[in-house]
Amino acid sequence: MSKPLRIALTKGRLEKDTIGLLEKLGFDCTAVREKGRKLILPIADANLEVVLAKANDVITYVEHGVCDMGVVGKDTIMEMSGKFFELADLGFGRCRFALAAKKGTDFYEGYGVKTIATKYPNVARSFFESKGMDVDIVKIEGSVELAPLLELSNGIVDIVETGTTLKENGLEVIEDIAPISARLIVNTVSLKLRQKEIENLIGLIEENL
Amino acid sequence: MKTNDLITPEGTKDLLFNECIVRRKAEEKIHGIFKSRGYCELITPEIEFFDVFNRTSRYFPQENLFKLTDLKGRLIVLRPDNTMPIARVVATRLKDAALPLRLYYNQCVFTMAPSLKGKSAQTVQTGIELIGSSSKMADLEVISAAIEVLSACSEKGFSLEIGDIGFFRELVSKLSVDEDQSETIRKLIEAKNYPALNDFLDKIGHNDITHALKKLPRLFGGEEVFEKAAKLFSDEKIDSILASLKSLYKQISKIAGNGRITVDLGMVNRTDYYTGVIIKGYLEGYGEEVLSGGRYDKLISEFGYDVPATGFAVNIDAVSQIILKNSKAQPKSSDVLLFAEEGYEMEALAYAGKLRSEGLVTEHSFDKNIEDAIKYAEAKNINRIVRVGSEITEVR
Repeated sequence: MSKPLRIALTKGRLEKDTIGLLEKLGFDCTAVREKGRKLILPIADANLEVVLAKANDVITYVEHGVCDMGVVGKDTIMEMSGKFFELADLGFGRCRFALAAKKGTDFYEGYGVKTIATKYPNVARSFFESKGMDVDIVKIEGSVELAPLLELSNGIVDIVETGTTLKENGLEVIEDIAPISARLIVNTVSLKLRQKEIENLIGLIEENL
Repeated sequence: MKTNDLITPEGTKDLLFNECIVRRKAEEKIHGIFKSRGYCELITPEIEFFDVFNRTSRYFPQENLFKLTDLKGRLIVLRPDNTMPIARVVATRLKDAALPLRLYYNQCVFTMAPSLKGKSAQTVQTGIELIGSSSKMADLEVISAAIEVLSACSEKGFSLEIGDIGFFRELVSKLSVDEDQSETIRKLIEAKNYPALNDFLDKIGHNDITHALKKLPRLFGGEEVFEKAAKLFSDEKIDSILASLKSLYKQISKIAGNGRITVDLGMVNRTDYYTGVIIKGYLEGYGEEVLSGGRYDKLISEFGYDVPATGFAVNIDAVSQIILKNSKAQPKSSDVLLFAEEGYEMEALAYAGKLRSEGLVTEHSFDKNIEDAIKYAEAKNINRIVRVGSEITEVR
């Protein structure tokens, strides 16, 4: 059998959903289920090798071709960008990017330059660029919702799933920016050099979504 | 004060010893292939006016360029590409030269690499430009050279991919979309972003063209691609593009051997100056293409000289990196170490000259005594030690 295809999975929920999907396809994922602390795990009957990584690293590994494929959220792809093929929308991990501000305020009011707090500065910048708006962007690492409450910023750009966190903190969505879900990405050279194997796998996945 | 005098800028590196050996060998091998086909070298400046690259047909995002100004305040850049400066030379100093021109180059290109991604800011490229013919034979000459280069550089396997930008252009021109929309479509096809492409085209409409464009990124692989493509859409122009690409595919498959040549009709590079056949070469063990090129019949006319051209560039750094991974090339140690006794320095210099004329790499010892010289020779793997005094003795 040829060298296994290496697939990088974003640790956590996307990893679990992907493994669920692979099991639905009939592959034996026991090694990944009982991984312990290992980071590279085989799925022998699919001739796959699973690599567990943080979202940003999934893109880096795929771009450099050390992993042939990866499963990563559209949020990370939009923030990081890069050179790879984005072959399938896996449908799980659904949420959206949205602009939110304190409930009851008119975000677009006035001439002053707005300040935006976010974990996703590139997404925020390109969103406001498309509106022709100059904004100050402040990168926040933890709970972004704090920034408007502490009056550091006028609004936030963040991932919104149900909106509960926003509501509990007196914030509301002003505008949706983009829908998000898990994507299957493939290294540009791997797709060409191992076309059959990758296409077969994607075919199987698409049938079972 | 913090100074940066011990490091190199991000995206650059020093190459030492075997890295240089491997790179020079790869260059030599590839240049041999070019020269045996009658290509002559040219060297253009490392810096050029920004205007050379600031073209509608080929867009270099200014944030990726290294910029300087000249004494008159005009904008100068470190060249991000080799073909544009060559087009400039062809349209000026070589305007009256007999055609076709066969040119090759071996020089760096510079682009600001995104921070901390392990990408280079400075890349050595070598490549050819065949100027003055739009014939099929010219395409064949360039592609067969590309195949020879790939097979000379590959330790494991290589693959060459061909496509024709015309297929995409024809389809999009039949669609009533503005420039921004067609650029979005191009980007999505290039990224093979199936889901987003479908969504975008659904908004534009449901017809033969949008259906064909949706399938375009999937049109890659072997000969079966032509059949699939022919079913998608048919008119005179598209049929003729497909027919000539298919015959080219069959011809070069014969040169390269089975399975090495693939087709990708969804190859629609950002470098939109291409006008016809485009090629990309891959080597096993490297995550990006190592060779790319194609036909660019309209580019030189932007510099005022209307002449067709085709060519390709090879990423020498990538090729060297792959060879290095698989080889243990070490710099050759010297053949002879000469130890001069005090007062016999001139004799040692003369004797070294004699050994070198026999083709032996000879170095002088600066040690105070012969014991230290022997230790040094052992550390450096030098097998022969000669002592020059009142007489010349072979120490070992």
